[in-house]
Amino acid sequence: MIGDPYSERVRALFDAPVHAGVLEGAPMVTVDDQGVRVQLSADIGDGSITAMRFLAWGCPHVIAAAESVCAGCEGRAVVDLETFVVAELMQSLPVPVEKSGRIIVIEDAVRSLGATLRKNPTSD
Amino acid sequence: MTSDDRLIYLDYAATTPVDPRVIETMSALSGEGADFANPSAVHAAGRRSGTHVARAATQLASLLNTQPDRFVWTSGATESNNLAILGAARHRQHRGKHLITMLTEHKAVIDVFRELERQGFDVTWLNPDASGVLDVADLEAAIRDDTQLVSIMHVNNETGAQQDIERIAECCLEHDVLLHVDAAQSVGKLPIDLSSLPVDLVSMTAHKLYGPKGVGALYIADKPDVHIEPVMFGGGQQRRLRPGTLAVPLIAGFGQAAEIASGRLEDDLEYLGTLRSRLWNGIRDIPGVQLNGDLSTSYPGLLNVSVDDIEGESLLLALEPLCVATGSACNSHNQDPSYVLRALGRSDSEAQSAIRFSLGRPSSKSDIDFAISQYQNAVARLRAMAPERAA
Repeated sequence: MIGDPYSERVRALFDAPVHAGVLEGAPMVTVDDQGVRVQLSADIGDGSITAMRFLAWGCPHVIAAAESVCAGCEGRAVVDLETFVVAELMQSLPVPVEKSGRIIVIEDAVRSLGATLRKNPTSD
Repeated sequence: MTSDDRLIYLDYAATTPVDPRVIETMSALSGEGADFANPSAVHAAGRRSGTHVARAATQLASLLNTQPDRFVWTSGATESNNLAILGAARHRQHRGKHLITMLTEHKAVIDVFRELERQGFDVTWLNPDASGVLDVADLEAAIRDDTQLVSIMHVNNETGAQQDIERIAECCLEHDVLLHVDAAQSVGKLPIDLSSLPVDLVSMTAHKLYGPKGVGALYIADKPDVHIEPVMFGGGQQRRLRPGTLAVPLIAGFGQAAEIASGRLEDDLEYLGTLRSRLWNGIRDIPGVQLNGDLSTSYPGLLNVSVDDIEGESLLLALEPLCVATGSACNSHNQDPSYVLRALGRSDSEAQSAIRFSLGRPSSKSDIDFAISQYQNAVARLRAMAPERAA
C-alpha cells in the first residue's frame, strides 16, 4: 500500500482530541476487546448528555472515532445511547474495513454507557 | 534532514537520499550526446557506455576488496536475493535439498525460502538469541549431509543486529555448504573484505548507500564450486545470469556511491555511533522503554526501542513530523507485530510498540534532539489518553 492511511478528519481528531479525559465522579464504563481499550464517562442533565469524555488505547482510527463519538453524543438524549451505531461514523472518517471490529468496540462502550446511565444516572 | 515542510527523516535504513555527486554522474549519462548506448552493443558508442559499467564494477570491487568481474548487476537487493537463493538451490538440488536460514531475515529472503519449501526443498529456520545474533554452534548443529545452502543476513534491517559472518563462513566452508549473505544493510556502511571473507554470494543495493533506487548487485565468488542458475531469461547479458539491457546511469551511480562510501566509512560509523548514543541516552529513562538489540554489537546507525503499554500505530502518527519506522519499511502498512522482534522473544505488545530510528549522513544533533523530545511527548500524550488495564 502506498499513500496516507489516514484522512484529514482522522488526523485532525487524533491531533486534537479535546474530549480525551475523565469526568470525575461521573458514571463510567470500560470495554476491553479486539486489542482495544475504551473508557467512556458522561454527565447528564434533564435526560441529555451534557458532557462526555473518553480514554482509549488503540490505533489512530480508534482514538479519532472515540473523539468524534464524544463530540457527537453531547446534547443527545441518554436513551439514544443504547441504540447507538457506528456505521455512519465508519464511513465518514473513514475507517478501513479491516479495522471495523475495533470501532465496534466503541459502539459497545456507548451502548454500555447508555445502560449504565439509565440504571444509575449519577456515580456513587 | 530538515526541509521546508519540517519533516525530520530518521529512516535511512529504508532508503537514503542520492549523493549530489552521484546525481551528477548519472545525469551526465542520460541525455542526448551522453554515453547512452547499450553497453552490450559492439559498436563504438556501446563500447563507450561499457566503460562506465566497467568503472562502476571497479569502484564497487574496491569498496569490497574483490575483483570487478565478480558482480552481476540487478534491480536491487530483492532481486539479488532471489537470484542467489533460487539460483544456488536449483543448481545444487541434485546433491541435496536441505537449506538453512534464519527467522529474522528480510522478507526478500524469507519469502524465497517459503517458495522453495513449496517446491519440495527442506528448510531449517534458525532462531537468534535475544539480541538477534545467531549462535554459530546452532548453525553447525543444523548442517546435514544434504545441506546445500545457508543464507544469513549481515546486518538486520530492523534491529541492526550484526552476525559474525566470518565464523559463519568458516563453518560453511568446513562443511562444503554455499553461503549467501544479504548485505543490503551493510555494504558501504561497514568494512567488508571479500578477499579474506570466504562467502560465496552477497546481495547488495545502491539506495541504502546514497546511490539510486533500482540498481543492485550480486557478488559471486570466484570458486569452482560456486555456480547459480538464472531465474530470468531473455538474452545473453551478464553471462546469461541476468538478461536485460544494463541500466548504465544507475550502475554508474552505484559505482560512484560505492567510491564515496569507501572514503568515509570509518568517519560515518563514528559519527552515527555518537548520534545513536545521544538518542538512546535521551529516551532510555522513559519508564517502560526497552532496547531491542545490543548496542555493543549492532550497527551504530540503528536504534530499535519498544515501550510498555503504547499502541505502535498511534505512536508512529504521534511522532510526526518525525519519519521513523515500525518494523521494516517494506512492512510499514502492515500493523502485525514484527516477526523479527517476536523471534527475539518480545511479546506481541512489545513488538507492536517498536520504533526503528535509523540514522544517516545528513542526520544532525538537532534532528536527534527533536526526536528525543517528540518521542517523550508522544509517549506521555498516549499514556495520558489510555485507560488503566483491568486488573
